[in-house]
Amino acid sequence: MASSWCWSCLSRLRAPSTPRAILPPQSITPRLTTASFHSSAVQYANPTKKKGALVAVKYRQGQTLRRKKKKTTERSRPPAVGERKALRKRIVLSNPNALEVEGMQDLSAETMIDARLRGSVLGLPVPMLDQLRAVQAFKPKQGWSIFRRPGTVLRRDTLEMARLFEKISGEGDAAEKGKVVKKIITGLKGSGKTVHLLQAMAMGFLKKWVVVTVPDARELVSGDTSYSPIEGTNPLQYVQPNAVSALLMRTVEANRQVLSSLNVSQKHTGLPSLKPSSTLEDLAKLGFQDAAIAWPVFQALWTELTATAAAPGMEKDFKARPPMLVTVDGIAHWMKESAYRASDFTPVHAHDLVFVKHFLSLLQNGQASLKNGGMVLYATSTSNNPSIYTLEVALDQLAARQAGTSPSSPDYPSPEAYSGADARVLDLFKPTTGKEPQFELQTLGGLTRDETRGYLEYFARSGLLREEVNETWVGEKWSLSGGGIIGELEKLGRHVRTTAQTTPVLN
Amino acid sequence: MSPRLNLFTANKAAAALRQPFAVARAQRSVALPLLLREQSTPVQKRWNSSQNHKKGLSPDEQKFPTQDQLGHVGEEAAEMDRIMHKEKSCDGQPSSPELEQGSPVADILKRDKEGLKHMPKVMQDQLKKSGSRSFSTSARSRLPELQNTESQDEISAAVLADMIQQVNEQVAARLPEGLKFDVPVLPAQKKTLNFRKRYDTMQEQFTKMLMQDGKLARAQKNMSIILDHLRTSSPPNINPRRPLMGGPPAPQLPLDPVLYLTCIIDSVAPLFRIRQQKGIAGGGTAVQVPHPLNLRQRRRAAIKWILDASEKRRDAQLAHRVANELVAVAEGRSGVWDRRDQQHKIGISGRANLGLAPRRR
Repeated sequence: MASSWCWSCLSRLRAPSTPRAILPPQSITPRLTTASFHSSAVQYANPTKKKGALVAVKYRQGQTLRRKKKKTTERSRPPAVGERKALRKRIVLSNPNALEVEGMQDLSAETMIDARLRGSVLGLPVPMLDQLRAVQAFKPKQGWSIFRRPGTVLRRDTLEMARLFEKISGEGDAAEKGKVVKKIITGLKGSGKTVHLLQAMAMGFLKKWVVVTVPDARELVSGDTSYSPIEGTNPLQYVQPNAVSALLMRTVEANRQVLSSLNVSQKHTGLPSLKPSSTLEDLAKLGFQDAAIAWPVFQALWTELTATAAAPGMEKDFKARPPMLVTVDGIAHWMKESAYRASDFTPVHAHDLVFVKHFLSLLQNGQASLKNGGMVLYATSTSNNPSIYTLEVALDQLAARQAGTSPSSPDYPSPEAYSGADARVLDLFKPTTGKEPQFELQTLGGLTRDETRGYLEYFARSGLLREEVNETWVGEKWSLSGGGIIGELEKLGRHVRTTAQTTPVLN
Repeated sequence: MSPRLNLFTANKAAAALRQPFAVARAQRSVALPLLLREQSTPVQKRWNSSQNHKKGLSPDEQKFPTQDQLGHVGEEAAEMDRIMHKEKSCDGQPSSPELEQGSPVADILKRDKEGLKHMPKVMQDQLKKSGSRSFSTSARSRLPELQNTESQDEISAAVLADMIQQVNEQVAARLPEGLKFDVPVLPAQKKTLNFRKRYDTMQEQFTKMLMQDGKLARAQKNMSIILDHLRTSSPPNINPRRPLMGGPPAPQLPLDPVLYLTCIIDSVAPLFRIRQQKGIAGGGTAVQVPHPLNLRQRRRAAIKWILDASEKRRDAQLAHRVANELVAVAEGRSGVWDRRDQQHKIGISGRANLGLAPRRR
């Protein structure tokens, strides 16, 4: 039997049949939409605001995000070629604003061995500054530029070195004329290794020695200067003519007075243009006029400087040769393979560069080579320094030998197995044999408190430091600088602290 | 009328006659329960907490609740009356409260040889016993400690008194006329150089504004180059129309580069910024109203101007550009001064608008 309601009526029936609830429905499940503590129901809440009513649509305006671009200012042209490098390498030795330190003494043959002046800052003599500049003793970031004139602290190591200079020059009580002292100088970063070399050069100039320096060992192995193989050498060796030429130029510039007073006393077959009456300055000048013969010229100069007597027939005006000072800074660069390549594209070891080899061989045969005596100072560096494991081991061995450990004892440091230690480097640092004196390891540490005080007083007297330099304050800085590391002390000394603020005046 | 003996002070009398050792012992007999209690405490001691450095009172310093009780007010008044009026000592003077409390037995025994013979048996025993103990003590370890502290206390007290006396004498000698106490320390004198921060406030602000791409170390390096430039460049020729505010005279400026920098920045810093305020004039036009800045904000504005101006320089390094611009500001050549003047001119003309509130629609 069909129903009297049609489907459509049934569906229509549903809507009006449920009357609108007057009271909120009592639901069993708690409502999640309203908080339980509300007494009003959802139905009585205010009608929700229409969305989008707040955003006023502006006409004729884009809806995309636009950001302002920062305008790059057009500089007319970049700085000239080499200007930036010149700025980087510039060495300023004077600050006219700094105060002149009253009573500051100059470094001289008397003051450099005076133990009473220990801890005080001695000025470098003004005429010597050109010589020191010529041998590139100053480095750009050493802070010379904030003082009125350059000066260095007379510390314990300096005094000891000064006494050595006196001895080797044949003066003083215990003169040992003709002796050769060979030292490798190490120390922490900022401990004054390069300045120690500078002091050595200054003393060398004071004592009228011949000073030969390699200010940056890296330049010889970084592949920047030209090189060429030497015929008939096995293993093949390489010469760097331009670097030798630059060395000759430095040496002549710095030692002009000494070299011009000495005459040629040997026969140099390789240099036909050399006159018998010419001075050593003229000899060296041949080398930097023509880089191709720079290496033979250097060898000739070296034999002249180390000669003890004139060749037969040339004794006319032979003068005794002065002792020599040889310094190299950043020796670690010479203990690895250089950036140069052989013809089969294998890297060339630094010891195969004849220039490098010549200087390094002085460690083993310094006394034999420098017959007139002198000093060989090779410093390690801690800035821009390659990390060379073999050198570390070699220096450890040297320290152990100096401490009295026998090379055959089990405590003697040796490179670890499979570490690939460089045999040539170890060979270089092996103990010398025969009459040759051993080379020493000198480790520079911090200044003592008294020296620190003198150094910081120098800052205060130059007007750079506005603090009361007393025992407490110096002790504090001494500790802060890791026990008197002079580079750190310099940072602390130049670190500016204002005692008083300017009070802003309203105008 | 004989002075009454006070038996509470009998211990002290014995102390005067005998070694201090005996005192400690006699008092310990009283304080024994206390000691025992004290010894039992370490069990409960918390070792993880910091040690309590406050020392407990030594037994002879401890007070017992019944020791010194004050009488009632009335009793006290009666007592006073008795002392002042009724009770006279032998010489007719009113007896002092000290006498009323009783003269120490020690004094009496000192001057009275007869009294020594007839003194109570307890005291005689104490006098006779010198070394050996009649009782055992469990607090053996405390003995040396007690003696030590006592003697040390005496010594330190004497030293302290001596020091105080010396200081007093010095102060009396040093104090200027008319001052009772020390000269007050002004806050400016208290300023210490031990900054919590490494750099000066202004230097730090400048460095942070100099920073590019969040590279603070590079900014600090640049800052040190700038300061070195200021330190080594020749002293500024100051334009009289654009003087630097405060600070030492120009030739001294390079020796203190941070002060030099501060002078420069503070001199070109604007006093206010110009706010574009809508809704004052009506019609949608913005009105320029000066808004005051605090010190840090003023410096920020000046540094920003200087850095903007240095952009146009041709030196290769950022630090050199900024340093040269700073020197130009110090010498009055820089356009930053014009910018500041312009800002101040707008501000002066706009100060009529200061009181106006924005209109409500």
